[in-house]
Amino acid sequence: MTYIVKTNQLTKVYEGKEVVSAVNMHVKKGEIYGFLGPNGAGKTTVMKMLTNLTKPTGGDIEIFGEKLTDQSYEVLKRLGTIIEYPIFYENLTAKETLELHCEYMGYYDKKEITHVLDLVKLTNTEKKRVKDFSLGMKQRLGIARAIITKPELLILDEPINGLDPVGIKELRELFKMLCKEYGITIIISSHILGEIEQIADTIGVIKNGRLITEVSMDAVNHSQAEYIEVIVNDGKKAAFIIEKELHITNFKLMDDNSIRIYESTASQKVLTKTLIEHDIEIEGISKKTSSLEDYFLKLINGGVVNA
Amino acid sequence: MLNLMRLEMKKYHLGSYVKRAIFANFVILGVMFMLLFITKIEEDPGLENYQMALTFIDAMVRAVFIIFASVLIAKLIIGEYKYKTITLAFMYPINRKKLIASKLAIVILFTFSAIILSNALVTTIFCVITESFRLIPDTLTTTLIMQRIPVVLMNAVAASGMALIPLYFGMRKYSIPTTILSSILIVSVVSSNTGNFSLNDIIFVPITLAIIGISVAYLAIRNIEKVDI
Repeated sequence: MTYIVKTNQLTKVYEGKEVVSAVNMHVKKGEIYGFLGPNGAGKTTVMKMLTNLTKPTGGDIEIFGEKLTDQSYEVLKRLGTIIEYPIFYENLTAKETLELHCEYMGYYDKKEITHVLDLVKLTNTEKKRVKDFSLGMKQRLGIARAIITKPELLILDEPINGLDPVGIKELRELFKMLCKEYGITIIISSHILGEIEQIADTIGVIKNGRLITEVSMDAVNHSQAEYIEVIVNDGKKAAFIIEKELHITNFKLMDDNSIRIYESTASQKVLTKTLIEHDIEIEGISKKTSSLEDYFLKLINGGVVNA
Repeated sequence: MLNLMRLEMKKYHLGSYVKRAIFANFVILGVMFMLLFITKIEEDPGLENYQMALTFIDAMVRAVFIIFASVLIAKLIIGEYKYKTITLAFMYPINRKKLIASKLAIVILFTFSAIILSNALVTTIFCVITESFRLIPDTLTTTLIMQRIPVVLMNAVAASGMALIPLYFGMRKYSIPTTILSSILIVSVVSSNTGNFSLNDIIFVPITLAIIGISVAYLAIRNIEKVDI
């Protein structure tokens, strides 16, 4: 297996406090790696260490098969990054920003500037300085800057903050496209589960500085059971009937009014009919797939996952 | 390195600073003539000879451009940290030491050449006017000018060095006002003139300050590769 990024017992201590603890991260070539965790879990610190901005207290990082050291400058040519929030020299225009970036990166294809501005849908901003941009526009320009040099690895820290739903969708498509057509490996962090779920191939979950799990989306999808949720007036009675009359045992009484039935053979129709026949009022019934959100919450709340 | 300096100037539109420096020259000229006339009206023994006038010009030019240098330091270095654009700069495949060194080089070169050129410009204009209107009861001699050249050069070198001292104060809390204030403090200590005597005249003082300035710059660069951003 070729890993683009591999960390070994990566640790960072700030003022005596361990903010990243023994993280072993594995990012495969050509995949989108979703880096998931609540605020303050250590996502940004890890990403800063990957880009050599912050130096690890312990452990090491391998990028493109080479160990990262204080003097690793060449490797930065092959990276595109947004860390925390996009930062610019605000007196420049979008075009000047990209020109300057290309010069610093040693990339000299000037035509690419208009192309990349089109890609992120940031046009008609010729005269405007970055300081007058909205957060969404800055985010787009940040992404344009990160991808303009066609890096092999994109490290994006919360890249969809501040974007409207349409913008989020557009960028999601863009990331998928970059990954598929250009073969760019992407590490994308977020605390918004729904986002990662839709684009990531592998997910790493970090909590309190520890990488709790690293799992492929395929595995997550298989492990997630579907269930039927019924909202009734008398949960206990309904539970009794479900067990007695329908011989279903794989269910859970969530509270006084709602029941989740995990048995895959259970049909909504039969369930409704049986409950009504026994004088139970049904306020709602729906079929749900336990999403990554549940999976994630399970992890965050300390459960052990067998995926 | 030259290329880095060029990019740095592009990034901050540093061309506009040249205009501001020229403007500062005219302000210095204005102050010189004001001094000249006020001392004449008050009948004080003010600028009675060229030796004094040229010393005055040099002191003022240095004061102005040491403060000017702190503005540049604030913009090029302190500002990068304050507004976090340093994270951007340090993500480029460029040696951090070289990056900061190129910024410091801009500050030093700018300060040095601004002091030399401004001295030349202000002195020329001032002397042409005073000579043609006989405003100073003294004649300007080539010997005096020849004497002044090494002094001005020496002072400019020292000033360019001590102009880096504010970097130390500015970096402590990434504060732009502190940077500029500390330069004003340095200037007021070094260049203030009491009864025709300033601290800068004790050769030991400017040289020590210049060495301190260079050390501050060295310290800023030395560990930069190990620092967390």
